[in-house]
Amino acid sequence: MDETTRESPPSRRAFLSRSLTAGAGLAALGGTGTATAAAPAVAAAAAVDPPETLPVSLTVNGRRRTLRTDPRTSLLDALREDLGLTGPKKGCNQGACGACTVLLDGTRILSCITFAVMFEGAEITTVEGLADGDRLHPVQRAFVEHDGFQCGFCTSGQITSAVGLLAENPRPSTAEIKELMSGNLCRCAAYPNIVAAVESAAEGRS
Amino acid sequence: MAIGKAISRVEAGDKVTGAARYTEDVRVAETAHAVLLGSAISAGRVRGIDTRRAERAPGVLAVITHLNRPDFAAVPPTPYTAEGRMPLVDDRIHYAGQYIAVVVAETREQAEHAATLVVVDYHRTSPVPTLDAALSQAYIPRENGLARVPSEYRRGNAEAALAAAPVRVEEEYRTAALSHAPIEPSSTLAYWEGDRLTIYDSTQSVHMHRPLVAIAFGVPEDRVRMYCSLVGGGFGNKSYSWPHVFLAPMAARVVRRPVRVTISRKQVFTGTGHMAATVQTVRLGADQDGRLRALIHDSVNQTSFIDDRQETASAITPYVYAVPDLYARIRVTKVNTGTGGAMRTPGDSAGAFALESALDELAHRLGMDPLELRRRNHADVDPVSGRPWSGKQLLACYDQAAERFGWDRRNPEPGSARDGDDLIGYGMAGGQRTEHQRPAQATVDLTDDGTAVIRSSMVEIGGGGLTTLSQIAADGLGLPTAAVTFQHGDSALPAAAPTFGSMTSGSTGSAVKLAAADALRAAIDLAVGDRRSPLHGADPDDVVAHEGGLRLRDRPGDGESYRALLRRNRINTLRGDGDFQPEGEDAEHAMATFGVHFTEVRINRYLPRVRVVRHVAAFSIGRVLNAKTARNQAQGGIIMRLGAALMENQRPDPVSGRFISPALTDYHVPVNADIGEIDVIFVEEPDTNANPLGARGLGEICAVGICASVANAVHHATGKRVRSLPITPDKLL
Repeated sequence: MDETTRESPPSRRAFLSRSLTAGAGLAALGGTGTATAAAPAVAAAAAVDPPETLPVSLTVNGRRRTLRTDPRTSLLDALREDLGLTGPKKGCNQGACGACTVLLDGTRILSCITFAVMFEGAEITTVEGLADGDRLHPVQRAFVEHDGFQCGFCTSGQITSAVGLLAENPRPSTAEIKELMSGNLCRCAAYPNIVAAVESAAEGRS
Repeated sequence: MAIGKAISRVEAGDKVTGAARYTEDVRVAETAHAVLLGSAISAGRVRGIDTRRAERAPGVLAVITHLNRPDFAAVPPTPYTAEGRMPLVDDRIHYAGQYIAVVVAETREQAEHAATLVVVDYHRTSPVPTLDAALSQAYIPRENGLARVPSEYRRGNAEAALAAAPVRVEEEYRTAALSHAPIEPSSTLAYWEGDRLTIYDSTQSVHMHRPLVAIAFGVPEDRVRMYCSLVGGGFGNKSYSWPHVFLAPMAARVVRRPVRVTISRKQVFTGTGHMAATVQTVRLGADQDGRLRALIHDSVNQTSFIDDRQETASAITPYVYAVPDLYARIRVTKVNTGTGGAMRTPGDSAGAFALESALDELAHRLGMDPLELRRRNHADVDPVSGRPWSGKQLLACYDQAAERFGWDRRNPEPGSARDGDDLIGYGMAGGQRTEHQRPAQATVDLTDDGTAVIRSSMVEIGGGGLTTLSQIAADGLGLPTAAVTFQHGDSALPAAAPTFGSMTSGSTGSAVKLAAADALRAAIDLAVGDRRSPLHGADPDDVVAHEGGLRLRDRPGDGESYRALLRRNRINTLRGDGDFQPEGEDAEHAMATFGVHFTEVRINRYLPRVRVVRHVAAFSIGRVLNAKTARNQAQGGIIMRLGAALMENQRPDPVSGRFISPALTDYHVPVNADIGEIDVIFVEEPDTNANPLGARGLGEICAVGICASVANAVHHATGKRVRSLPITPDKLL
């Protein structure tokens, strides 16, 4: 995997470019097309049967995992279906809702719009990996205390995103929290409580 | 007392660690994955469908279409069967996205790929694309459509009273189609063992939906077990069984394996309903002193060619203000769109935009404070039945919210308040929701380890019912809330009221209260009849629950723990039964929830994007069961509706009628950065006239009146009256 891509800021554009690169990669594996133009490569990939599975080894929540997965499988689906995790959620499968947010080497990414086979050697942290045994992560504790959720479906993504945010910016202002948490939709709209939770976690740390 | 306390949710630990199990998280061995193929056209039929390549694709187990599907045994009843036409029954296409094939494969990737290989030959007919295109064809549906309220209501002679009124407002208001857009896409996992069907479904009520599936597949209801513990957001769209719910068991029968159907995000928009767009007219007649003389509220909404489903926008109107002469009507008109469905808050949200905007226009015309106008027309009793309200603290809501907001600082002149390039506007509006109740059952088991277990089929959708109902049981038995566990979300348990229509607190909550009281009574009877108990021989009425056991009311020292009592008697559990039956039509009191909203908007005069910087609301909902979850729910309802006020619009393509923004990238819902300060006040008064618990619903009333409050604030800021939602910048240029 290209280090510069991995270290680029976690913007939507970066994820999209990563996905498109993977599409080109698929085509190369299928033996047709070139890796230069993303769109034709994707079309070519659809025209032939892809290899059924590919191996990938990655570290998830501190544990080395090796699996064989369909090259079309997203990182999210690999975490959920192949590794049996339930924290990261599939809300939209389009990178628009943030429910699938995980940390890639500490940086937040959207696991639904990137392919699992791209993550050879990567270190992934999901919401399941934040607590220290029975001891909740400070952000998790703050979400409980401030009731930062209702239905809870977006919560894994919100919490993982907040952990990533505080790594990027340990002392965010209220306005920055609102802005930097806006990639994580909450249709129950627990937003005021999410902000309060992130603020209190930030204060607790500083 | 646990009730009312701001305790954290009982399931909070699971929700913050990823351990909470939603329907998509359930794993059953050998599960195959189904992908649903939606129609690319919005009207016509499937002339031919070639599934051969799909069937040959790797991993594919079956491709099911109208040509090879098994028969349904019967069509289960609407409205909770969302569509009156069962999926795949024929070649007809009524809306874009309607399911025309089910592709089942070993993995989801394989099914998705194979679905792209299905080739469909469509015969297109000319669709009716929009509400406007169909407006002249509006009609009152036969048999009242799918609504539970009358399509027409009349008292007095509204037309004559309007003509005689010295001041009139007559305007048209429009609301856009809205999508529930829960973050959890609907999911159904089904498997058969002989004629026994197990179904995990993201439903807001296992007991409302189990019989529908049983009827569709011709099996007795007790052969179907439906589970749903947690729903990842519903807002009404999971209060119906949509077509995918029936396709999962069908596919499971065909491939003889468990089958999961999880619909795509696009299908959440096209296949699980929406709040229908409305065109409403409101005609108000009033005296110079602001007393309403006449009110006519007419609403038309789009519905599908399959069903007559009303968006009951004028249904609440007869109940809200003391108007002697009133006429309200709800009509529908057919459009090539999917059937709509109840979305928080059905009818009343759209209706309040029209009615409360019109009142603001009237106040402006009269030169009267809009809050004073509402005070002058306060309905002291239910204007429809003449019955007293079970509880109504609306005037106190007005006072407290107005004071908190600083309404008295408002200069009524539009455009009078500015801050640099920002125009500042203050607006207000009211809201009302009829309180619904349904039968609900629960048991509460007192166990010999001194804990209690609630058993009721309730589904937790985020409203906090698991927590509030645990608090109710805890209070009933004198236990800490932590000593109460809850078995829920399973059709084998006693039937809860559905988790929609704001019925959890009042109905299921009352059932839990009754069950806890029954269990307590059983414990007391056991103790007073037990020679070895310190309470032996006491009058049962003198014994009360206290700190994990029983004691005498007047002599706190005399008593014993439940644990000691049950263990000595070798009893593992004492079960209390709770069966709540609402009074129905014969109730002495009329029941409703009430609210008022005050909004401050700021609008840049060069780029007129409306920002809600401050919103204060007050609600009259009886007793508040948990201050923390209630506040969260109310803030959420307000924010959801700020989306409807300012951005949400499920626009139809003017040619095909297809929704043009079926994605969260295009159908914008509020994000964190959109939200200003939200302040919620509860004017509490336990309402035991409504039910034993004294609590009415909150989840719906909190989302009524916000759009009008924003629109009225926009008028105050700019002098422009926007009568069509959402209030986007183009409407203010």
